[in-house]
Amino acid sequence: MPSWHDFQPFIVTGLALGGVYALSGAGMVVLYRTTGVLNLAFGAVGAMSALIAWDLINNSLWPEWPAYGVAVLIAAGITLAYGVIIGPALARRDALVKATATLGLALILLGAMSWIWSDKARSQVLPTSTHAFDIGQVAVTWTQVIAFGLGVVVVFGTAAFLNYTNLGTAMRGLANDREITATLGVPVRWVEAQAWLVSGILSGVSGLLLSDLVGLDAVSLTFLVISSLAAALIAQLRSLLITFFAALVVGLVSALATPITSISEYRNMAPFVIATIALLVISRKREISFTGTGLGNGRG
Amino acid sequence: MKRYFGSTRGRSVTTLFVVAAGLSLFVAACGGSGNKSSNSGSVVDNPKCGNGNGQKPTGTPIKIGGIATKQPGTDFTDGVLTTKAYFDCVNANGGINGHPVKYIYETEQTDPAQNAALARKLVETEGVVGMAGGFSLIECDVNHSYYEQKGIGVLNAGIAPSCWASPNSAPVNMGPRYSSDGATQAVIRQDVDKISFDQSNVPGTGYIAAGPKIVADAAGIPIQENTDNVPIQDANSVAVKLTQQAGPNGAVVLNFTPPEALKILQAAQQQGLEDSVKAWGCSTPCNTDFLAQALGTKWDGKLLVNAELNVTDFDGPDSELYRSVMKKYGQNVAGGLGSFSQMGYLMGEFMTNALEKVQGPYTVKSVNDQVFALKDQKTDILCRPWYFGQAPLHIPNNVDRTTTPDNGHMVQKEDCFDISADDPDIAKVRQIEQADPSLTGGS
Repeated sequence: MPSWHDFQPFIVTGLALGGVYALSGAGMVVLYRTTGVLNLAFGAVGAMSALIAWDLINNSLWPEWPAYGVAVLIAAGITLAYGVIIGPALARRDALVKATATLGLALILLGAMSWIWSDKARSQVLPTSTHAFDIGQVAVTWTQVIAFGLGVVVVFGTAAFLNYTNLGTAMRGLANDREITATLGVPVRWVEAQAWLVSGILSGVSGLLLSDLVGLDAVSLTFLVISSLAAALIAQLRSLLITFFAALVVGLVSALATPITSISEYRNMAPFVIATIALLVISRKREISFTGTGLGNGRG
Repeated sequence: MKRYFGSTRGRSVTTLFVVAAGLSLFVAACGGSGNKSSNSGSVVDNPKCGNGNGQKPTGTPIKIGGIATKQPGTDFTDGVLTTKAYFDCVNANGGINGHPVKYIYETEQTDPAQNAALARKLVETEGVVGMAGGFSLIECDVNHSYYEQKGIGVLNAGIAPSCWASPNSAPVNMGPRYSSDGATQAVIRQDVDKISFDQSNVPGTGYIAAGPKIVADAAGIPIQENTDNVPIQDANSVAVKLTQQAGPNGAVVLNFTPPEALKILQAAQQQGLEDSVKAWGCSTPCNTDFLAQALGTKWDGKLLVNAELNVTDFDGPDSELYRSVMKKYGQNVAGGLGSFSQMGYLMGEFMTNALEKVQGPYTVKSVNDQVFALKDQKTDILCRPWYFGQAPLHIPNNVDRTTTPDNGHMVQKEDCFDISADDPDIAKVRQIEQADPSLTGGS
């Protein structure tokens, strides 16, 4: 068993990853609460954003920050386009159908990325990773700080937004009952479009951060959504606060299992195991349904 | 609430979407080009392969087959694409005695049943008369008995243990085990006191890890074996784990595909860990300029890469032909110049040499008689001549180099050295070579 001293760097890496998972989880929860769509394409859109930024910087020789901005904008555009074009057509379908449809988008994007960029080795080092500082004997990059900090800001900022702004109130209204909210004069599609846009921006930002923290690889980034999804499911796709802490737990457990040789190679199971345990505990308290109340579609 | 949802905002969202979609199309259009390696080293515009007469062959095609792994985290299609590029060059230069080569390759996803079916499809349905291009994680293990039964001598660049343990399989590479042996030998020469060895968690990891352990044990150096699932999702943690295990006077040795190795090395660099161990080693897949370019200059001279094949910009006739073939016929090889494409090139070249010696019709027997007869295949891409020959096992590539990144390119760090005969099968092969020196050009 490694010593406490050996574990310290893994706390940093775990918190950084957990922060991005929280960021992603918040994007998924907000979208789900507003539209009833569990966006499984979140990771693929983020991967597309990261690869576009890499392409603009390395092949088109764009300056870094404009490239990142455009990449996030494109991620937002892809997500918004899906929400505006496909979303209304599926609005009255079962939540499972909606989620499966986003899986289709993920696969289309994954195929497009493989076709455009292939699987060759490439990397994306954000400018914030070129500087680090030490906490004790642990080196911490500014990207890791930003990943964690952004997770905190987005989660708590979004919670405040939903509670204290009119648009947030409208989003919560949609989550409770789409029909009643519409009859109250809330432009449903406009509110949903805002949610898709925010989700797209968060996926783009998450993709950029993860391309630095994890690696610039379409497949990895696409399926990292699973860790965020685990956090969102633990929060029953409702509570941003629980999503945040669940994401941190997922990130930390995965990281802290790394130096323990006997379980290291099983650490990728951490999101599933944690989510399963959490859902089993929750299920002892009340019935869980994907389409009804409980985990539900956000309208129960 | 109404004031927040006026039509102005509706238009702005639409505008934003149109702008984003336009930019998306623009970037997608840019992304399709410009991601290929620049070919360093001399090239000729019209490479001559095979007969080299520039005539289009008109005979019936000679069908040659290949199988490559292509799945998330493991894509070996650069190899078969380069073998195809070589045959394209042969076909543009008269083919084989007037016959064009039709190269048919299949991709597999480490499913044994799929691999068995693909081999039978190629041999029995497609009618291939030879196999050049086994770039698969498991194909040798699954199909070696079938090839032995059919009398087919397979040229491959394998991973699975059977590639080096079958009388009907002769790899142009030495594979992950012996390449990891070589990387381990390279870091041992740096006088390290501990080694942390890490590889992808794919079939055959135990077989591969056994080699570096034998080499390290023989040197009296403790070694910690690790496996990590690919695609790696927590490279920072992996880098920390490996450097902690190795310690300041130790070494980390990696056996991953280039994208996965890059994740770990990049993570180590970002966390300032590149100097926290005495040496870094990597097996052959790291021997690619793409990795050197992506890493930047911090790893120059620091990362010791076992190179089963020569540096891609070597000034020699076969290396020049390889680069020329890649430039003219290999534009779709994603990794560009590198180990996988060199292996694919050699398979095409050696198979062509065998095909050119066939007298009469091209049948499975006539072709494979010449494949088994291949020996003293001189090329400056390998440290010494390659051979097939009749033997219970084949590790014809058992002498290699060490390379290191240097300003975006891989350059030679150490000249040719013998892979350690402490590894038992290497010892067996050395005995075979001593018994028949003509295999490697001796007398």
